[in-house]
Amino acid sequence: MKSLNFALIATTVAFIALSFTTKLSQDKKPWNAPDNYVKMKNPVASNPESIATGKTLWSKHCKSCHGAKGLGDGSKAAQLKTDPGDFSKADFQKQSDGALFYKTSEGRDDMPSFKKKIPDDDERWSLVNYMRTLKK
Amino acid sequence: MKSLVNNSIRALRAGLAIAIGATLLLSNGYAQDEQPAPSKPKPVKDIFESVWIIDNQTVMVPVKGTLEFDILHRFGTVKNGYEDFWGFFAPSNIRLGVSYVPIKNLNVGIGITKANMLWDASAKYAFLHQAKGGMPFSVSYYANMAYDTRKTATIYDGSEINHDVERFSYFHQVMVARKITNWFSLQAALSLSHQNAVGGYYINGTDIYKSMKFDHLALSFAGRIKFSEAGSVIFNYDQPLTQHSQYNPNPNLGVGIELNTSSHSFQFFVSNYSALSPQRNNLYNTNNPFKYTDAVTGKEVEGGQFLIGFNITRLWNY
Repeated sequence: MKSLNFALIATTVAFIALSFTTKLSQDKKPWNAPDNYVKMKNPVASNPESIATGKTLWSKHCKSCHGAKGLGDGSKAAQLKTDPGDFSKADFQKQSDGALFYKTSEGRDDMPSFKKKIPDDDERWSLVNYMRTLKK
Repeated sequence: MKSLVNNSIRALRAGLAIAIGATLLLSNGYAQDEQPAPSKPKPVKDIFESVWIIDNQTVMVPVKGTLEFDILHRFGTVKNGYEDFWGFFAPSNIRLGVSYVPIKNLNVGIGITKANMLWDASAKYAFLHQAKGGMPFSVSYYANMAYDTRKTATIYDGSEINHDVERFSYFHQVMVARKITNWFSLQAALSLSHQNAVGGYYINGTDIYKSMKFDHLALSFAGRIKFSEAGSVIFNYDQPLTQHSQYNPNPNLGVGIELNTSSHSFQFFVSNYSALSPQRNNLYNTNNPFKYTDAVTGKEVEGGQFLIGFNITRLWNY
């Protein structure tokens, strides 16, 4: 009986641990932009006009998941399978503009591709400029 | 000898002149090449954020490859108050529609409306786009054709339709819009509605009295005032222009709010139009926002015949 209980507890613990591991691996799945994007320079100057454009796009397309301040606390965030990240942190902000442009354009898993919804490259670059204002 | 020298000098001068000319020409060419190409004025984005503004179309055509699903709903008029909960429990009208943008600037769609089981097919083309430092307005043209599919169809005066061709009606509209500031957009439009059947009778055996004309002109104005990045106050007003013998339609006034997300647009409002078909709204609207005198009875009719409605659009990009 003791061995049965032990087996049951061990199975439960293993199941929880595995689930947690899976969750962690989903959250931390690396996402590296191709080199040519990483090295790409932002052609849109970060000025008030570009940031205003980026803010409007952020409110319409990004806020519901990433939150108003990019903390990953949007109204839809709880339903996501992947961690939307915290854009205010250095870990996010250390990425190049080109890398952010690539991720915004192409998407992955829960993160949709915005190439078709925001077809103008300059507007997606403006969105990157706005993401820079979320740094704390 | 002297002439030989003179000839040589002339040849040298000519050669020098050609060389200088060629250099100038070439340097001019290079200078043009070095000049940055004049940048094309960028179109102004989001003059409106939905193809609808209450009861009217906007100049907007979504980006190429966009599929849109529309649910338009109009409750009954609010006149009965609590009796039918300000129209919410009164008979309502619904339109379900889909549209697609197969090529840049062209939106095509179909839909079905509960009232008259009306099927419609439509097309909208954006001819001009407002641009920074360029075109001051956006201009689009919208047209639709509708077909009444009821088993026993009637026209506005209750007369039965005898021929299938009389079930058709048409609508054409030219819209001109401008985003005046980031927070304020305005649109004006001229429309022509056409009905294939009107009521009437013979006078003196030959002349025909028609209670309405086949064609009807109208003006409409619509606008949007943003109060946040995602929210706006919206309004529209429709003014009939054509005068008919009878059955003159009433104007329409609509005010509401619009909320936009990445894939949705929600509009909630009060207005007078209930038909959900632009030609039927313009031709037959019996609700009036204002107090007026009935042309037939001569009696004063109360205005304020508003109804609550909403438009929901869902967009997918392919």
